[in-house]
Parts: sequence; structure tokens; C-alpha cells
Amino acid sequence: MHKEAEIRDPLILGNKTYHDISKDIAKPVEGKANKYWWILFSLSLVLFIWGVLCIAYTIGTGIGAWGLNKTVGWAWDITNFVWWIGIGHAGTLISAVLLLFRQKWRMSINRSAEAMTIFAVVQAALFPLIHMGRPWLAYYVFPIPNQFGSLWMNFNSPLIWDVFAISTYFSVSVVFWYIGLIPDFAMIRDRMSATISPMKKKLYSLLSFGWSGKAKHWQRFEEVSLVLAGLATPLVFSVHSIVSMDFATSIVPGWHTTIFPPYFVLGALFSGFAMVETLLIIMRKVVSLESYITIKHIEYMNVIIILTGSLVGTAYMTELFMSWYSGVEFEQYAFLNRATGPYWWAYAIMMTCNVLTPQLYWIKSIRTSFVATFVISIFINIGMWFERFVIIVTSLHRDYLPSAWTMFSPTFIDIGIFLGTIGFFFTLFLLYSRTFPVIAQAELKSILKSSGSEYKNKK
Amino acid sequence: MTKAKKYWKGLAELNNDPIVEKLRQNEFVEEIPVDEFLGDKELSTTSTSRRDFLKFLGFSTAAATLAACETPINKAIPYVIKPEEITPGVANYYATTMYDGHDYASVLVKTREGRPIKIDANKSATNARIQASVLSLYDSSRLKNPMKGGVDTDWSTTDAEIIVKLNEIKSGGGKIAILSSTIISPSTTQLIADFSAAYGNVTHVQMDAVSYSGMLDANEASFGVRVLPTYHFDKAEVIVSFGADFLGNWLNADYAKQYVTARNPNSGKMAKHYQVESALSLTGSNADDRIQIKPSEQAGLLSNLYSALNGGTADSRIAKMANDLANNAGKSIVVCNSNDAEVQTLVNAINNTLGNYENTLSLSNPSYLRQGNDTEVSALIEEMNAGKIAALITYNVNPSYTLLDADGYNAGLKKVGLTIATSLYNDESAAKMMYACPDNHYLESWGDANPSNGVYTLMQPTISPLFKGRQFQESLMVWVGKSDYHTYLQNTYSSIDWNKSVHDGYFTQNQSAATVSSFTASVPSFDVVKADGIEFEMYEKISMGDGTQANNPWLQELPDPLSRACWDNYLTMSAATARDLGITNWNVSNGALNGNMVNITVNGTTLNNVPVMIQPGQAVGTIAMAVGYGRTAAGKCGDGIGFNAFALGNGTATIEVVGGEYEFAATQLHHTMMGREIVKETTLADFIKDPYSGNHQVTYATHNGKQPADKVTLWDKFDHSTGHFWNMSIDLTSCIGCSACVISCHAENNVPVVGKEEVRKSRDMHWIRIDRYFSSDMTKELSEAEKVSAIDMYAEMEEPSANPETVFQPVMCQHCSNAPCETVCPVAATSHGNEGQNHMAYNRCVGTRYCANNCPYKVRRFNWFQYSDNDKFDFNMNDDHGKMVLNPDVVVRSRGVMEKCSMCIQKIQEVKLDAKKAGKKVRDEDAQTACSSACPTNAIVFGDVNDDTHKIQALKKEERAYKLLEHLNTDPSVFYQTKIRNKA
Repeated sequence: MHKEAEIRDPLILGNKTYHDISKDIAKPVEGKANKYWWILFSLSLVLFIWGVLCIAYTIGTGIGAWGLNKTVGWAWDITNFVWWIGIGHAGTLISAVLLLFRQKWRMSINRSAEAMTIFAVVQAALFPLIHMGRPWLAYYVFPIPNQFGSLWMNFNSPLIWDVFAISTYFSVSVVFWYIGLIPDFAMIRDRMSATISPMKKKLYSLLSFGWSGKAKHWQRFEEVSLVLAGLATPLVFSVHSIVSMDFATSIVPGWHTTIFPPYFVLGALFSGFAMVETLLIIMRKVVSLESYITIKHIEYMNVIIILTGSLVGTAYMTELFMSWYSGVEFEQYAFLNRATGPYWWAYAIMMTCNVLTPQLYWIKSIRTSFVATFVISIFINIGMWFERFVIIVTSLHRDYLPSAWTMFSPTFIDIGIFLGTIGFFFTLFLLYSRTFPVIAQAELKSILKSSGSEYKNKK
Repeated sequence: MTKAKKYWKGLAELNNDPIVEKLRQNEFVEEIPVDEFLGDKELSTTSTSRRDFLKFLGFSTAAATLAACETPINKAIPYVIKPEEITPGVANYYATTMYDGHDYASVLVKTREGRPIKIDANKSATNARIQASVLSLYDSSRLKNPMKGGVDTDWSTTDAEIIVKLNEIKSGGGKIAILSSTIISPSTTQLIADFSAAYGNVTHVQMDAVSYSGMLDANEASFGVRVLPTYHFDKAEVIVSFGADFLGNWLNADYAKQYVTARNPNSGKMAKHYQVESALSLTGSNADDRIQIKPSEQAGLLSNLYSALNGGTADSRIAKMANDLANNAGKSIVVCNSNDAEVQTLVNAINNTLGNYENTLSLSNPSYLRQGNDTEVSALIEEMNAGKIAALITYNVNPSYTLLDADGYNAGLKKVGLTIATSLYNDESAAKMMYACPDNHYLESWGDANPSNGVYTLMQPTISPLFKGRQFQESLMVWVGKSDYHTYLQNTYSSIDWNKSVHDGYFTQNQSAATVSSFTASVPSFDVVKADGIEFEMYEKISMGDGTQANNPWLQELPDPLSRACWDNYLTMSAATARDLGITNWNVSNGALNGNMVNITVNGTTLNNVPVMIQPGQAVGTIAMAVGYGRTAAGKCGDGIGFNAFALGNGTATIEVVGGEYEFAATQLHHTMMGREIVKETTLADFIKDPYSGNHQVTYATHNGKQPADKVTLWDKFDHSTGHFWNMSIDLTSCIGCSACVISCHAENNVPVVGKEEVRKSRDMHWIRIDRYFSSDMTKELSEAEKVSAIDMYAEMEEPSANPETVFQPVMCQHCSNAPCETVCPVAATSHGNEGQNHMAYNRCVGTRYCANNCPYKVRRFNWFQYSDNDKFDFNMNDDHGKMVLNPDVVVRSRGVMEKCSMCIQKIQEVKLDAKKAGKKVRDEDAQTACSSACPTNAIVFGDVNDDTHKIQALKKEERAYKLLEHLNTDPSVFYQTKIRNKA
């Protein structure tokens, strides 16, 4: 059995028994939704529908419905894409990397973090599709055998690498998530009464894949988890590296930067953890998981945020230094223009939210406060959105030839689509919180005896 | 014959039971309840069940859906009897003459399947308006029927009524006036004489929208001939222009070519060009030395120049110029835009003193392009108001719009018994007249022209009249009881080989010109005085001219080469004057330009809410506004755009700043090069010393020492050593910014018009643009010397100088060998051709716009919307007539795809196929792009660098040749030649 130092804070509060854990985790699935859930769900659904209408309008009339122009060919679309894909990264890091490092505190949060990953990737994947001028021909980007004289895609294009990176990431994440869910689905199945809710029982039976808790099942489960964690770990680094190459391989000053792959990965983890915090702080209230998602979990994540946030700040400084050191006037102007040009306010928001606010976590009382964490996590989410906006728009709007310089301003369709994806994301997440075991209870039970508050106190 | 076996379906049939026959008649065994559900019975009593209703509903929906799935059918109707000269898919060319009362050119018209689709230069150069005139042919807003009092009628009624009325006037001894534009057609002059002979008391008055009357009067006073001289800028070594925009709109489109001939840096000699003006003109922007004055100073400075040339002391501003002129007597030209006969007499005196006559300008070989007479026009208006004119026939003029005294004219018009307008449009003037007779467009007409002495060009129809128009000449003949102008025209030139001349489009013939007497006039004298107050001057834009083609969407969307704004006119004002008045221009959040508005009063006429554009180069204390805008009856696309500057006239202005803001549509929002080496330039003196001056190669420091960009590369070199390798050279010294190439490109490549709102959003679709940069007071050298911080330096660099040096740079797709767009396209829709072009496969494009983002030249254009057949873009591509101008060799792009310059691949392909068919080598002079063929100064040269005989090979090796943004190693197929200025 797992041994843990006594001085470590318990990870499960409230003197829970195994049965308590089963009950608590199954409660949202078995019980009725509370008022908060319905309010949030209705709000999300409205936003989602609004987004769908905006997308329909865009596809119906043309990309001209957005604020783009001949100089700025990407703006909110790709900003949103990179933002969402970045958010997904924390989930994979928590479930795969922390699993390999045997970090037990991940157990209460990995399920939701992974759900967040998958839902965020769904939002992200929407943008490459709808940003196309002719989305009905999107299948051209897949290596499908064809009758155009065996015409393939352009394997040199980073957008094609994106297609592979994102589809791989999405499928591995879904499989990994699902494997982890099997014993928990089985737990719910076992608690369901075949007479009261036969349909549900049947559904969860199907989902649990005939799990019976045999030792062999457990052994296979552990092995598959480990293998998938091994597979998913490189993805944490590869996906955002490849996304960053959309910019890094171009020749646009401000995009053409070799620092981008690590810089983007760190930014992704940074924003991902912020989003996990935003979601979990809401969720522990909405579905009453205060005993499982403790301030200790939040504090651990805040430590990671200080680290990644500081690294992101270092990357910003490195970029500035390199542009000056390069001696290339286009490069120098691009960064000078970011900081002092017409979009200085976006740069200022980015710097404040991403570099300054996470430094507050050095203060213990802030690091261990739900309210402060929630506020700061929102700041980071905003800051990281602006980071992508700054990279994309301020680089494009003034590149090589001043004759083509112009500005970008979003239309209500741009804004509508972004809000729509937020709505879609929360719609999925809220539905998930009512139908899925939101905490990996089977795993969690394995640390009850070592990290549960009752057992800690006994010693 | 075999007997067919017969089978019975049952015993009943064998027995011939009547029920069998009855059932056979009845297709449906059970009765169909048609009445049940289609009858008028009460709904509640019908037996149609809910289930049936749903079935019907389902069926109808499915049927409607299926019906809607049918692809639309586009009918292509083959010729029943194919005209001999037309082969579908093969273009025919016809030589003809373009003349619309304002612009003149001898042109070559390309027709496809009987439709004129492109204008090229024949014997004279073309400008943007001449290039665009082919679209004006297909203008649905043209006058389509004869009209009487605003109501459609037909020709027989109109003719009958007009003849009766004319005869009544004749018998009553009434006076008939013909008011026309300058007539350069000898046969038309003859016809007007015939008409006068038939009706007795006829007076013919000519007027020009932008008048040259002062100059003509001055020549009459000075030399006894009321004609304009022909100019030979190519023979001049010093060119001085007092406000005359001879490269843009002044007189004749041919001067640009002469000008560039006189300024060839490779010959080591460039004519020195001084421009003395208030508003920055296209010509002024090309000048070596530009002196800003107020219009009131012009006469005084000319007078001072004249006295300086005769031993007096010159004003400090023009001392150098006077000196240069004196040293180049007989090899200089002084021109002036003034319409004041006295000022023009001074100019004549200066040219006479310098001995320029018959050297660089010639009156013995005069130009006939402008013959309007302001005095006669005023006299006519007076007579009209006095009720002395019984009939007025107008031709090719729009006096109610272009006259300063339009009110006087309109009032007089009411007192004329019979008013007949012969016009292409039911315009401001025609609408006020009794009869509006539709004229034919020049592409539908026969005609002749005599632009200058001894030179004749012919006009021939290239398409049957699209509407029920009839050309003016034919109408005149009908009204004197004759017909067939074609024969009449042929008879006018009985001595020439008619077929050959029509084929060539021109012929020369001895012509006796009026004798020029020696300079006799007394030379007026003016003091150099600077009037107080803000002075207003009208000018012409190269896009709009006098506004005749205001309904042409290509021209409306053609950005002004200096302000880079389109779809508007505005008051141009210097930054200093604007600051004094508290007026600014600013960019809104999407970059679009907004400005303050003023009420302006000149000569007692007020225009309200006129926007002000801050224009570098405009002299302090002066403002200017382009004519040709503010049309009210131009057609759906030209109406209500801008303000009518004709109504103001030149003079002192009163300005009142008013609230509100105005939205401009400009295609370039940033005006300086920000210290970057985009347009490389040097001076003539430096260039002679070091041919590489201003064009030193960019190098990178490597372990092997300094290396040029193409040596520090990961790219595999594209092998272009065999086959064709199409390149383009653009000489920035020769490019004057005239924009003829832009319109030529539109016509050749079906470039869509997107309208003001979209241009404001920086979504113009131009495949070729002419970047214009002004110099700034702040430079990198200055910032280093004065220790200015980089942030301040760049901020100050954004501000152009008050009297800036201007450069023009045509930019189209650079057809890079290492194209950044090609590597990033996910679907390989843009890829490299083996002849050096960067191809674009529209059907493959999914529209990610990555290519446009990665293009350092920003030449790629995205179809944000469907620009054809879309009511939101109600321009020529949404009009059955307007669509006839489309080039069938070039696909009309659908929404969601990227497009860009193809180096006119359809033209190259045609030339290659023709050569292949003929079994010959491609002749390089045949391979031309739309822009290179339209360029009046040959600044754009296109050709195959692998062809040893083509001059592009030498151009590529020239010391001046450089590639744009060379340090990126994109290795473009387009290269530029350094701009050389003849300045100290």
C-alpha cells in the first residue's frame, strides 16, 4: 500500500469511507440537478445557440461577415483556436504526466481536467473548419485517396501538421479518458436499480464494458493506463509545438520565432491550469465536491501556475531581447509596435494578466484562497486570450510594406462565435457533470487510507 | 404471320364479362378521394386523416426539396449562322478612336464573340479613363430610348417632330444653336456646316468642361492663331510647369511617354523638372523640384520669371529655375494651367524669349484637342436668357453640371423653344431638355478625328448598338433629310485607301494649318503678391476627369494616386492649415480613415458638409477639390458620390468647420516607408558616379564572410535555365503613378468591384496596386544624429513632410521562386509553375488565408463575399450588360477563394499556343501582360529572361535592378529599377 508522509495535508476531507465516496460521486448522476446547474445550463445553451446562428450566417454569406481584411487574414478565429487548444493541455498534463510522476493529488481533478481537454479541443477544432472560405471542401485537407489525379495535400504546410496533431490528440485523449471511466461507470451501473431506471442501467452497463472488478481487469486497467499515459505525454508537448509552427514557420515578423514551440507549450499549460481552476472552483460548489477538491489541490495547481507563468514571462522578455539583438529592423519594429503601437492596450492586458497577476501566488494567503484563485484564474484566461490576439493581429497588421498596414476590428459575428464556443463548452461540461462520474473514484479510493483525513488524523 | 397466343387472366375475361372492360377502364381499383382533400368541404367534415395530411406534407416537402436540388442551367446558344470573322474562343482586334469630348486616344479594341472587352493603345497612349471606357459601353444606366419630356418615345416620332419644329424655326427666321464639346472630327464639322446650310441661322459653340479658353485666346492674341501648340517634352532639358498636370490630365495622354523619354538616367541625362503649384498633382509628385505657392502668386511669379529671363532679378524661390531655363534656351518648356489669357500670354512670352517655339513646342503643327470658347459660351447663355435662341442642340456636353454659371444656363434653357440633347446618358442637362436623343458610345460608332495637324484617326463600330441609340452625326443627317453617315464619312476622305486606314485606325495626310505670326502681344506684368485667406482650386483626378464616366465602377474604385482614396472627392488641405482650423483625419478601430467636415463658400456658392482630407504637399493656405463628382444623374453607381466642384470655381474660399465626421474609403492608410528600403532611390549625380548607388545588396554575416541572401538559404534553387522564365521589370524612375495598369488589369482579369464600404474595411480586390510613399522629415540618420529614441523616431516617421518627395511603386504578385505562400497552403492550391509563375488553382482553394498572411508583399486578395450576381455588390458583375465586359478566358472567382495576379497567364498561354500552331518561336513582343501593355511610359517591361534577344535580360542585369524585400530571399520574378531623381 501507498505510504505517505504524515505532515502532508490530507487530500480527502470529511472522514469519508469507501461507501461515502461512491455515494458522493454517484450523487450528481443519480439525483436531480440543483438551481445553479439549471441557471448555468440555460445560459450556456443560449450562448451556444447564438454561436450556431453566427456560424450559420458566416457560412451563408462569407467570411466577410467577420472583421478581417486583406492585411489581417486571421484574427479572432485563430486566436480562439489557439486559446481553446491551449486550455486543453492542462488536462493531459494532469492525467498523463502527473500519473507518470505518481502525483496522487491529481486523482480528484484528472477526470474533469480531461473532460475539459476534450471539450476544449472540440471548440478549437471548430475554428480551423469555419475559418475556411469554403468549409464544405474541408475534406481537401485530409489524405483521402481521390480522383483529382492523385492530388494530395501539401505536407509542407503547418496547417496539415495541425490536422494530424489535433486529430491524434483528440483521439488519444478520448481513449485515455474513456479507459479511466470504465470502473467508475461500473460503479454507477452497480448502484442503479434495474427496476427504477432500466434504461439508465442498460446504458451504464454498455459503457462499463462488462467490468466486473476482477483482479485481471485491474491489472489490465493499470497497464493500459500507463501505456496511454506514455502515449499522451509527448502529445502534451507536440500538439502546441505544432500549433506554434503555424506561426513560427511563416516569415511574418513577430511570428517567425524559434522560441515559439516551448513558449506555446508553457502558455498552454499556464492557461490550461487556469481554466481547470475556474471550472473546478465552480464545480465543487455546484455538485458538492468540497471534500474532494480541496484548497490543497488548488494550491498545488497555483504552484504550477507560478512556474509556467514565470516561464511565459521569461519567454516574452526573450522575444523582446531577441528582436533587439537580431538587428533586423522589421523584427524590431514588430515588437516595438506591439508594445507602443495602436494595439498597446492589448499588449498591456497580456502583460498584466499573464506576467504580473500569477506572481501574487507567492503570497500564501492568496495561493490558498478559493476566491482569489478564481479571480486570478479568470485574469489568466483573459490574458492568455490576449496573448494569442497580440501575436496574431499585431504581427499581421503592420508587417513588411507600410502601404498595406491597417487595423482589425471584430464584428458582432466574431464576438458571437467566440461566445458561442464558450456556451458550447459549458453546455458540454454541465451535461458531463450530471451524467459522468466527475471524479475518478476508483483511483481515489486507493489513496483513502493514506491521504484521507480520518486516516491521517488516526496516526 | 404468327398468331399471338392470348392468355386470360380469368374465366371472366374469356367470357367477356362486362366487369372486365369496366375495370380495365379504371386505372385505380379503389376510388381516389380527390374531393376529400382538395374539395371545398369543411375541414372538420373531411375524412382526410392526420396521418394522410402528414403524408401529403412529407411528399410535398420531399418533392420541393428534390426540385430545388436541380443545378441551374446556363444556356450557351450556338450561332445559327456563324459570322465569318468570328471564331468562338478567338479574339478579334479592331483599331478605332476613343473620344468622349474629354479624352482622346487611338486605340486597339479586343473583341470576343462580338463583344469589345479590352482597350489597348494603338497610335497614342492610354490612361485609366480610356482603359475603363469599355465598361462604360455596357452601362445599363445609359439612355436607351429617345425621350420626350422624360417619357420614352421612338425615333420616327422624335425625328418627325424635330424636323417639323426646325422647319418652323427656319421659316420664322429663328436662331438655332449647337452647343458641343470640342469637335475634332472633320466630317462632323462638315455635317454641322451642312446643317447650318439647311436651316440658315445656325451658330455652333464649343465648350470644354475643363476650359483651355484662356490659353487659346492668349495664342490668338500672341500669334494670331486660336489653337493649342503641340508639345515635345522629349526634346526638353528643362521642364517648368506652373500647375499644369501634364502627366495626369492636362490636354493629352501622350505627354507621359515624352516626359519619360526626356528623363532616362541610363543615357546620363535627365530633363530637370520644376513644378510650381498649390495642390499636389500627379505631375508635381514626379517633379525634381516642387515649389509650393498659392494660386494668387502664380501670375506674379511668371511675370518675375519673364523679367528674370530678360535681365531682371528673380524671386529667390525660382532663381535656380530661371537660371536653368536661361541656360537651356530652345531646349526647355514652360507650361501653365491658368485659364487667364493674360497669364497664358506671359507663358507664351517666356517660351518665346527662350526660343522654345518650333523646338519643344509647335504652333505651326497645332493640336486641335481643345477648342472651347468661354466667351462664346457666355454669349450663348446671354442670348438664351434674352430669348433670342429658338432651338438648342447639345452634343457631348453636360453644361447644367459643368458650367460655373449653370444656373444662368438652366434659366436660359427655359426660354428656348426647342431643346434637343444628344447624349449617352439622360444626365443633368439632358433631363432638362425637351428631347433626349441617345447617342452611340464610341465603340458603337463610325467616326474620324484630327487630334493634331496632319494626323487622322478613324473610329469604327466594334459592336452593334446595345440600345436604341443613334450617333449624333446620323441624327444631324436625318434632320436635314439625309442618311448614312458611314458613306458620308468615307466620302470625306476620298483620296485615301479606306480599308487600310480603317484597319490601321489612322492615316496621315497633309493639312494646311493657319499661319502663325510672330509674337506680337504686349506682355502683361504682375507683382508677386500673396493674397490673404484660403484659396480654392479645382483639379481633375486621373480616375474621374471631368465626370463623364462617373457611372463607371472601375473608375470610382480606382484610388487616387496621391490620396489613395476612392469613391469620393474631398477638400485637400495641408496639415498646417488643418491644424489652424482645428480639423483632423484619424483612423477608426478597423483602420478606416475618417475626417472632419466643413462648409465651403467660393464665388458665392456654398457646399455643405464637405469632408477634408489632409494631403501632404498641399500648399499652406490653399485647398483643392476634384471635379467630376457630385453627379445627380450619372446612373446608379455614380450618383450622390462627392460634391460638384465645378459649381464653386477657383477663388478665395470661406470655410466654416461643422460637426460630424465623414467616412473615407482609402486603399492605403499609411503614407511613409518608415525608413525601410522599399523604394530604393538615388540622385542622378550619384548614379553617374556609381551605378549601384542607392542599390547596395543586402548581405548577411556568415562564417564565410558577408553573403547575399540567396547564398544563405535552405531552399533548393528552382531550375529556370530551360524553357521560358517570365520576368517583369518595373522602372520606378519611369513610373509616374498614372494607374492605367490598374484598370487594364481589372478589364483583363475580371477583377471585382467591391464598393466603398468594403474598401473602407481594407478589402479592395485590386491585383495590382500603386503604392505611394511620401518622404518624412524624420530619417534614421537624423534620429541617430539627434539621439532620438526608436519609439519617437518611428512615431515621427509616420508623419509625411509638408512638401514631400513622392515615390510610386506598382506592386502585384511578385511570383517568388521561393514563394512563402506556396509552402503554407494546406491543399497545394497555390504552387510553382515551371515558367516562373506562382499559380493559383481556384477550384482547389479552401480559403484558409494563410498564404495571404505569409505574403510579405500583401498582394493576395480574398473573396470575402460572392462579388458576382449579388445584389449587395450591385456593380457591373451584377448586371446583365455589365457582365458582357468579362473576359471569357479568365474565371470569375467564387466566394471563399484567394485570388491574385497570375502574370496574365491566359495571355501567355495564348501566345504560346499560337506560336506552336505556327511552328515558330514565341515572339516576346507578343507576350505582354495587361499592365505592361497599358503602361504609357514602358515602366513595366515583361518578357522571357531566357530569351537572349529580349531587353528584359539586360534589364535584369542592370545595376539599378533590385528585388523587393531582397533580404527575405523570396527571389521574386518581378524586379524593380532604382528611382533616380535629378536633384542636387
